[in-house]
Amino acid sequence: MAAPALRLGPRRFGRVNWRGCLNLLRRQFKSGFADLHYTILGPVVSNALYLLLFVIASTSLTRLDPQALIAFIAPGLICFAIAERAFEASGANLIFEKHHNTHTDWLMAPLTATERAACFALSSTLGGVTVGAAVALMTLAFSWPSLAHPGALIFFALATGMMHGLIGTLLGIWALKWDQYTALHTFVLLPLAFLSGVFAPIDKMPELAQHLIRLNPIFYLIDGFRYGMSGAASADPLLSALVALGMNLALFLWVHRWFRSGYRLKS
Amino acid sequence: MITSTTSTLGPRRYRAFNWVGLQTLYAKEVRRFVSVATQTVLAPMVTTLLFLAVFVLALGHAVDRVGDVAYMSFLAPGLIMMAITQNAFANTSSSILISKIQGNIVDLLMPPLSPLERTIGMAGGGLTRGLIVGVATWVAMLPFVPMSAAHPFYILFHAVAASLMMSLIGVVAGIWAEKFDHMAAITNFVVTPAAFLSGAFYSAQRLPEFWQGVAHANPLFYMIDGFRYGFIGHADGSLGAGIAVMLGANALLLWLTHRLFAVGYRLKA
Repeated sequence: MAAPALRLGPRRFGRVNWRGCLNLLRRQFKSGFADLHYTILGPVVSNALYLLLFVIASTSLTRLDPQALIAFIAPGLICFAIAERAFEASGANLIFEKHHNTHTDWLMAPLTATERAACFALSSTLGGVTVGAAVALMTLAFSWPSLAHPGALIFFALATGMMHGLIGTLLGIWALKWDQYTALHTFVLLPLAFLSGVFAPIDKMPELAQHLIRLNPIFYLIDGFRYGMSGAASADPLLSALVALGMNLALFLWVHRWFRSGYRLKS
Repeated sequence: MITSTTSTLGPRRYRAFNWVGLQTLYAKEVRRFVSVATQTVLAPMVTTLLFLAVFVLALGHAVDRVGDVAYMSFLAPGLIMMAITQNAFANTSSSILISKIQGNIVDLLMPPLSPLERTIGMAGGGLTRGLIVGVATWVAMLPFVPMSAAHPFYILFHAVAASLMMSLIGVVAGIWAEKFDHMAAITNFVVTPAAFLSGAFYSAQRLPEFWQGVAHANPLFYMIDGFRYGFIGHADGSLGAGIAVMLGANALLLWLTHRLFAVGYRLKA
């Protein structure tokens, strides 16, 4: 009986606590998909409505080719679905956990800040990409998509999910109330996403608008993702990839810092 | 003294109508959304402006005019109406559902209010939110969209009728729903599709026949069409039919809501 007590002591894992990571990852991923019809069917239905709406509006009002319009808008909507889900998976979840004090589950577990940050980034990326895949399947009902550069497509899908997952994590750590969370979502993130060239090529916009949109990191994610599908891009895909990598790295370091210091988590 | 206070207890003693009670319920419903005005008024204002920007960006360069007005002027009334309907619905449905889940629904059920007073008080809160959001989105659009008021009566009538109709539907949905999931399902699969496919974004006249039929079967089509007529002086459907549909739908919903409150369906289990 004395032997097990002796086994207690400082953490004894290899360099990385793989088992702990896997558990946290599974826990975070599952929490978002408890209600499938809410997490998956909701975005699928609302995005199908957006597409239907654009087809009806363009055929009734313009001579635009609806197929070309869909080919342009669909990648943006898929990206948007990935982003919204990844953001919610980490952000809304964190605030909920803070209010119910369940975040102690992973604060107490023997995980390093790096492991925690990686698990949060990865679980929300996976959640976002799962919803994105469902929305992508739905768009098949409207048009057969092209697949110009599958590698770029996968890269930008993951980068979109991870960036929004990390932003959601930061916001979830920082926000004390739901009001703050929804306010930042409605007044900052949603405008940035909507005004990123999802719905129209920026080449046709006034010069000032073009310059402003080029300051918006989400523009590069969506443009890169669209490049992966249609092969056409408004920005250099390499630049888009660099922006995506840089943003993700910076956000990851920020999340890591907050997890390490315990800012608003261990107070 | 003691006997006199006990003698004041007893059956309800108001005239035909409990004005104080009604006023209190109405004030509670209004304060509930005013205290979080950023989420309940400012947020819909911003999202409506975003919708305007998106449609103008995506289609504006290809559409000169709809009928004889610019696309923006055509779009704006539909967007204002969408904001009105969604917020009127959200106000009553969330109020009742949250009260049910938190247990403070007794605050609505215990006071000496008749079913009619409950109906009017609840619907009045939603109506007020719908109208305030409508005015807010209208003001927000003024700098971007040239808007006139060709027939103010139609603007006013449809704003009030639509707001009332959606807040009554919200009451019914709130009474029916037992979980937040139920409400999310109603919003995602009924209210939003009905609003999107109502002709807010396009002219129903130029649709293929099938989609015209769909539009005409949707009560939201009539409120948006009539409301837009008030601004631009052009309607896709019949104006008389629009008024009749709105009056009929509201009468039916008032009766249904009153009935649900009277019976206590899913409220007094």
